[in-house]
Amino acid sequence: MPEVAHVHPLLAGVVALAVLIGGAAVVAVFDELVLSSIAGRSPSGSITRPFARLVTALHRRPIPTERPDVLLGILAPAAYASVAAMAFAVVPFGEAIAIADVRTGIVLFGAAEALAIVAIFLHGWSSNSHLSLIGAYRFVALALSYELLSMFVLIAAALPAESLQVSAIVESQGELWNVVRQPLGLPLWIVVTMGVTFRGPLNLADSRDLATGTSLEVTGPRRVLWEVARGGMLTVFAAMGAAMFLGGWLGPVLPGWAWMLVKTLAIMLLVIGVSQRFGRVRADRVVPFIWTVLLPASFIGLGAAGVEALP
Amino acid sequence: MSDVLFVAFGLVAAWFGWRVFRVDSMVRASFALLASFLATSAMMIMLLAEYLGVALIFMMAIEMTVMALFMVAFMMNPAGLNPMVMVHQHRVSIAAGVVTTIGAAVVAFGEFPDRAATDVTGSIAALGTELLGGSMLIFESAGLALLATMLGAVILSARTSRFGTPADEGSKAPPIHPDHPDSVPEIEEEEEGGHHCH
Repeated sequence: MPEVAHVHPLLAGVVALAVLIGGAAVVAVFDELVLSSIAGRSPSGSITRPFARLVTALHRRPIPTERPDVLLGILAPAAYASVAAMAFAVVPFGEAIAIADVRTGIVLFGAAEALAIVAIFLHGWSSNSHLSLIGAYRFVALALSYELLSMFVLIAAALPAESLQVSAIVESQGELWNVVRQPLGLPLWIVVTMGVTFRGPLNLADSRDLATGTSLEVTGPRRVLWEVARGGMLTVFAAMGAAMFLGGWLGPVLPGWAWMLVKTLAIMLLVIGVSQRFGRVRADRVVPFIWTVLLPASFIGLGAAGVEALP
Repeated sequence: MSDVLFVAFGLVAAWFGWRVFRVDSMVRASFALLASFLATSAMMIMLLAEYLGVALIFMMAIEMTVMALFMVAFMMNPAGLNPMVMVHQHRVSIAAGVVTTIGAAVVAFGEFPDRAATDVTGSIAALGTELLGGSMLIFESAGLALLATMLGAVILSARTSRFGTPADEGSKAPPIHPDHPDSVPEIEEEEEGGHHCH
């Protein structure tokens, strides 16, 4: 079991909050940059535009709906942000330093991912509006599919380390990173990341065809919190991907935290690039695809990792 | 400090458990139950059952989401937002509640012999070693076989959606009476597009 230093509990909240907000800002800027690169536009304004949108969104007035669940409507974005922070707690963000590098790291991460499904469903459900509700229902159909995928991918990465602890999984990649040892892992993880942050082809929750789905009736600070949490969640999943498949803090010359930052940013850019390049897929096509193609692929990956881990 | 926290989680779990029966919607009831389970899992983690506690969060989050969705689907209550009463069979419920409370009170306040249970024959340790050692592959394979069975059952029983051909196309119903092969039940022909109400 590796020796891992833990952030002081009083600082942990500050660190998690900084990562979520900072990550969300980076996601917003990356989104603009990738979009302008695809559209062949000049990238100028990529940094200022998201912040201008944020200020506008903050001032948008609330939309009253008939008999909404006010409490759950407020709690849903907060819960989504909190589970992102909870998931980040188990990810070591520098050489052997984390908020809470618990022995059951990947299980706790999976628990956070499962609670995120609840938060997203309640976000769409609470405003009592039909398009939001369709977004919520559609998202759950997708989520039940990618959730299994994510667990098999994480377990496969845990097998060579013989540990569920994230830092142990990082250290097990000293000789060879999991991205090479388990080539299916990272691509499948990107699918999971797009699912849990409902982005690009897997944006079934907040998509344009539902006039922004679960967020349709949500405005002002609640909406800003929702979007920030969504960017933060992408950051956390990219960081987890970096720890699971790209060797986390391992790397020459640069200090551990710098490697972790570079790798996390690379995965974020990759996910955003894939999201912008591909159109949204229909729920009734993507769910069978995940169950019949991606899930068996993850089984094969898990089986191969298991055979390799045999003494 | 940790005693206070433990009791607090217990009270939270009990309060949400009570809310399950007092809220007016299936979705709220399901997620109140989830909140109760979350507090329970915090207590399990405090009792050093770390894996079980975390796994409980994981399982219950998914389970309660699925339950909420199916409840709404079967209750014919649009989105679970129409007010409804969560309790039924009042007399039986009251009797069950009284009996359970007495049982819990006996466990909580009763006098039990203060005697540590010792595993004299070593059977508990042997069982644990067997389950997670020599026979692990068998148990894991059994788990996989069960999963495959569940998937198979769903696939076999599913009528494919309106985007594909129906799974029962060309199939024949068995005769009602084994001696009379002509006694086939009449099957309602469904209209194209599936505009029917259950």
